[in-house]
Amino acid sequence: MTFIGKLSTQQRTGAVILGCLALFAVAEMFLFSIDGNQQFLAQAFASPDWQAPLGRDQFGRNMFARLAGGLRISFTLSLVCVVTSAVLGVLAGVAAAWRGGWFDNVLNFFANTILALPGLVLILVFAAVVPGSFVMIYLAISLVLWVEYFRLVRAIALNQVASPALQSSMLMGFGKFYLFRRHIWPALKADVFSLAAFGAATSVVAMSSVGFVYVGLKPPTPELGLMIVELFPYYHEAPWLLLEPISLLFLIVLGFHLLAGKAR
Amino acid sequence: MKRILLNRLLQAILMMWSVGTLTFILVRLLPGDMAYKIAAGRYGDDAVSTAAANAVSAELGLDKPAFQQYLHWLWDLLSLDLGNSLVSGAPIIVELQNQLSFTLVLAGCAIVVAALIAFPLGMFCGVKADSGWDRASLTMSTFVRSQPVFCLGLLLIFLFAMELNWFPVAGYGGAPYAILPVLTLAISLAAVSSRVVRNSTRTAVNSAWFEFSRIKGLSSRRAFVRHALPNILLPALAFMGIQLIGLIEGVIMIESLFAWPGIGHGLSHAVFARDIPMLQGTALVMGFLFVLINALVDVSYYLLDPRQQEVQS
Amino acid sequence: MPSLPAVFSFRLIVIVFTTLLSLTACTPPRSPDKIVISGPFEPVSYDPASSGYIFSRMQVIETLVDVNDDGTLRPGLATGWQSNDDFSEWTFHLREGVKFHDGSTMNAEVVRKSLAVAFGKPVPFDASLVKDITIPDAHTVVFTLSQHYRPFPSLMSNYTMAILSPASFGKFNRMTALIGTGPYKITDFQPPHNISTIRFDDYWGRPGTIKEVEYITGHRSETRALMVKTGQADIVYNLDPAAVEMLKSDDSVSVFSELIPRTTLIKLNLDDPILADRSVRQALSLALDRTGIASGILRVPGIEANQLFGPGMGVWHMDDLPPPSQSLKQAKALLEQAGWQLANDGVRYRNGKSLEMNMITYANRPELIIIATAIQDQWSQAGVKLNVHMENSSAIPSGHTDGTLQTALMARNFANIPDPLGILLADFTSEQGGEWGPMNWQNPSLFSRIEQIGRETSEASLPAQARDVIRTINDDLPLIPVVYYMQHSAVSDRLQHFSFDPYERSFRIADLQIRSEP
Repeated sequence: MTFIGKLSTQQRTGAVILGCLALFAVAEMFLFSIDGNQQFLAQAFASPDWQAPLGRDQFGRNMFARLAGGLRISFTLSLVCVVTSAVLGVLAGVAAAWRGGWFDNVLNFFANTILALPGLVLILVFAAVVPGSFVMIYLAISLVLWVEYFRLVRAIALNQVASPALQSSMLMGFGKFYLFRRHIWPALKADVFSLAAFGAATSVVAMSSVGFVYVGLKPPTPELGLMIVELFPYYHEAPWLLLEPISLLFLIVLGFHLLAGKAR
Repeated sequence: MKRILLNRLLQAILMMWSVGTLTFILVRLLPGDMAYKIAAGRYGDDAVSTAAANAVSAELGLDKPAFQQYLHWLWDLLSLDLGNSLVSGAPIIVELQNQLSFTLVLAGCAIVVAALIAFPLGMFCGVKADSGWDRASLTMSTFVRSQPVFCLGLLLIFLFAMELNWFPVAGYGGAPYAILPVLTLAISLAAVSSRVVRNSTRTAVNSAWFEFSRIKGLSSRRAFVRHALPNILLPALAFMGIQLIGLIEGVIMIESLFAWPGIGHGLSHAVFARDIPMLQGTALVMGFLFVLINALVDVSYYLLDPRQQEVQS
Repeated sequence: MPSLPAVFSFRLIVIVFTTLLSLTACTPPRSPDKIVISGPFEPVSYDPASSGYIFSRMQVIETLVDVNDDGTLRPGLATGWQSNDDFSEWTFHLREGVKFHDGSTMNAEVVRKSLAVAFGKPVPFDASLVKDITIPDAHTVVFTLSQHYRPFPSLMSNYTMAILSPASFGKFNRMTALIGTGPYKITDFQPPHNISTIRFDDYWGRPGTIKEVEYITGHRSETRALMVKTGQADIVYNLDPAAVEMLKSDDSVSVFSELIPRTTLIKLNLDDPILADRSVRQALSLALDRTGIASGILRVPGIEANQLFGPGMGVWHMDDLPPPSQSLKQAKALLEQAGWQLANDGVRYRNGKSLEMNMITYANRPELIIIATAIQDQWSQAGVKLNVHMENSSAIPSGHTDGTLQTALMARNFANIPDPLGILLADFTSEQGGEWGPMNWQNPSLFSRIEQIGRETSEASLPAQARDVIRTINDDLPLIPVVYYMQHSAVSDRLQHFSFDPYERSFRIADLQIRSEP
C-alpha cells in the first residue's frame, strides 16, 4: 500500500489504464478462450455482436480475441525485456562502480559499442538474423535497454560506494548483499522504476515497429504492429477495425509513460 | 575538445566493427540457404531454382572457410569497399549516396519545420503558462508522444491523403511527396521540444531580471526579445541537438511508411530482402550519422558550458 | 503575468502554416502525351535474366517468338520457324529491317551473340538443351538441341531470351545498358524505383501514339489504388481485393480482372510416409473449402481450381470436369480408412504418430500466407494439424533439392513457357519432378506417355493425349490445385484501348491512346 500511496495522480492514471488492459488480456484468455486465428470467411468485416464484441477482420477472425492476444504478446515482451535489462543493467552498474578497474573498463567498452548504433537499427539487424522470432526481438530489445540502467546505476552507485555511511557499514563487516540493499538500492529505486516504465513503452513500440515493416513476428500472430499493417488496406471498408489496434497501442504506451512519472 | 572528438572517433570504429561482425554472422547463419535467397532476390519468385542458386554461389565465393571470409570481410570494410548489392548487383556506395541525399532532405526539412512549430508554440504556452492553451498543448504533446511515429504518420495519411486528398500517399517525385513525411517527423519532434521551450520560457518570464526589465520601462515585446529570448534559445537549441538522435529512429519508420527512398527505407527493405551488403551499408551510414550527431552535441555543450572547458583542459 | 507579445499571435501562426500547406497541396498536372504506370515489380538491374520481365512489359525488349492471348505462338522478331523431323534442330527466320535503339540493325550474328550471353545466365529451363547455334546466312539462326524437344519455340518467347544490341554488353559480357528493339526506349532508369521511356521512332512495327511512359514501383497495393484514383498514375497493376473494392465505386477509373496462366497449388513430398498414401492426398483435397478461399479471401467467385492448368490453356484444360466441392465427410472417411483415427485432442493418429505436417509458403505474394492460414484452419477440421512457416520463396526449390520440404503452398507461373507441354516435359517425366512441380512422384507409365507426346509430330492426336495426361494427374494428385489466378488492374478513363496480356509479356502501351480532353 505504501508504494501505491507514493504514486502521483498521473502515475495512478497510468496504472489504472495498464490494469484495465491487462485485465482485458487475461480475462479474454480465461473467460472466452476464442481462437483468434480461426477464420470465418463468410463473416468478413462483420459488425460487433455478442460473439465478437469488437467485430471481425477480413477473414472473419474475432477481433476481440486477436486484440487480447496482441496485448498478451506486447505485455509479455515488455515484461521480460524490462526484467532482463533491469537486472542485468543494475547488476552490471553496481558491479562496475564497486570493482572499478579493468572490469569497469570492459563493461564501459561494451556499453559504448551498443550506444554507437541507434537502437532500432540494432533491433532490425537482429530481426534479420532469425526472421519471425520472438526470442531474437526480445534479445535485441534487452540488449539496447540494459545500457540505460547500467549508465544511470553506475553513476549513482559510484557516489554511494564512496559515501561514509557505506564505508562504515563495510568496516562493520556486513555482507555485500546487505550493503546493496541498505545503501545502494534506496538511492536507485525511483530512477530504476521510471526507467523500467519507459523501457516497457520502448519495447512495445519497438516490436510493433518491426512488425509494421514486415520483419517482426509473422502472420497469423496477432501482433499489434502487424495487425495495423494488415488492416491498413481495408481502411475504406472498415476504418474502425484499423483504429482498434492503433488505439490499444496508444493506450499501452500512454499508460507506461504516465506510470513513469517524470519527463524523460 | 580533442578528447571528445577522439572518443567519438573510437566509438565510430567500434560501431563499424560491430556492424561488420553482426552482418558477417548473418551471412554465416544462412550458409546453404544464402545462395538460394540471393537467387530469389535477383531472379524473382518464378525463376528461382537450384541452378540459379548454384550460379550465385560460384559467383560470390560463398564456399570458402569462415575465418578467411571474416578477415576478408573486415578488410573490405576498413578499405570502405562495401561491395555490391546482392539483389541489384549495383555498388552499395552509389546507392547509399543516392539514399543519403533523400534522408538528409527529409531530416533537414523536418528539423526546420519542427523548430517553426516548437518555438512559437512553446513560447506562447510559456508566456501563458497554465492557461487553457497551455493545457491543450500539453494534451496534444502527450497524445503525440504516446504513439509510435508510424501511427502518427498513418493518421496524417488518413486525414490529408485519403479524406482530403491534398497530398500523395507515398513515393517521391517532387515537393508534394515530401510534405507528409516531413510533417510527421516534425510533429513528433515538436511534441517534445515545444514543452522544453515552454518550460524555459516560463522560467525566463517569471524571473527577477525579466520583472526588473519591465519595471525599468521596456515594452513587453522589447523586454522579451532582449532579455528572455537568449535565455530560452540556448537550452532549447541544445535540447534539439539531443533530440536529433531520436530523429534517426523516426527516419527509419517514416521512410518505410511513405516509401521515401532514403537510408531508413533502404535498411528495412534490405532486412526484408536479405540483402546483407545493403543491410551493412545502410546500418553503417545510420551509425555514422548517429555518432556524428552525438559528437556535435558534445562539442556544442563544451562550447556553451564554460564549466566543462575547465574540467577538460 | 506579462501580456502576450504580438509576435507570437497564435492565429498568425495558423494562417501562415495553412497557407504554406495549401500552396503545395496540388497534384502534379498530367502531361498530354505522357502516361504513368505503377506495379509492385522492382526492376533491380538492366539484366534481362533478373528484370527482363519488366522491360518486356514496358516494351523495351522483344523476343524471337511472341504469344497470343490463348497461349499459341506468333511471330516476333522471327517471322517463322520450323524443325527437322525429330525436333532436334530448329531453324528460325529473322525479320528484316529491325533496328535497335542505338540505330544498329539486327542480324543473325547479333542474335547469336545475344542468346549465347543469355544461355550463360539462369534461364527457366535446362540451359544445356541448346548444344549449338549456327548462322547459315544473315537472316537465319539454327539451334541444334541435345535432345528432341517439341515445344522449343515457346522457350524462345521467354523474356530471358530477349534480343539485345551488342552495345548492351561491356567487359565479361556484363550489362552496361539495355538496348532492345521494342517500340519504347529507356531514357532514365533508377533501380528499383522507376523507369522512364520514350517512343522509338524507328520501330519495325506500328509505333505507339503515346510519347513518354514512366513506370513507378509502388510497393503496396493500396498505394497503387490511390495513385490511379488521384491521377498520379494512369494504369496500375496487381491490385488486391481490398483495393479493387475501393476502386469499384470510382467513376473515373475502370477495373479489369483477367485470369492469367498461374495456379495456386499445394506441393506435396510423396516420399513422406503420410503423403505417400493416395487416399490421404485425396482427403486433403476434399477437405479444402476452395469456394470459401475464392469468394471469401480473394473475392473472385469461380476461380476454384479442379486441375493443374486453368481455362485458357487450350487442350490442356478439361472443361467437363465437375467443379471442386468440399466434402469433410468423405475426407474424414478416407482418412479413417487409411488408418488415421481421431483422438481427443482433435488430431488424428496412426500407430501413435500424429497427422501433423509442415507447410512452407512465401511472403512476396501476400495472398499466399492468407490462403495457407485458411487451409490450416480447414484441414484442422478434418483432424489434420498443419504448421505454416513463412519463408523466402527460395525455400521451395531448396527444400525440394535437399528433400526437407513436406508441403508447400505456391503460385506456379505457367506463362514463363507458354506451352504446357514444355512444363510437363520438364517437371512430369521423372521421379525427381520439378522444383516448382511434383516431388518424388512415381508414375513411370505417365512419364513415358508425356515423353512420347514430346517426340510425336502429329497434331491431331494431341487433344486426346492431353486429356489422358490431365486425368491421370488429377487422379493421382501429386499436387493439389487450389485456385486459379485472377489479376486485377485499374485504368484511368483518360486512356482508350486498354487490354491486358494474360501472359504478362507486355503492358501493350503502343496500342493505347490518350482521350483528348473535352
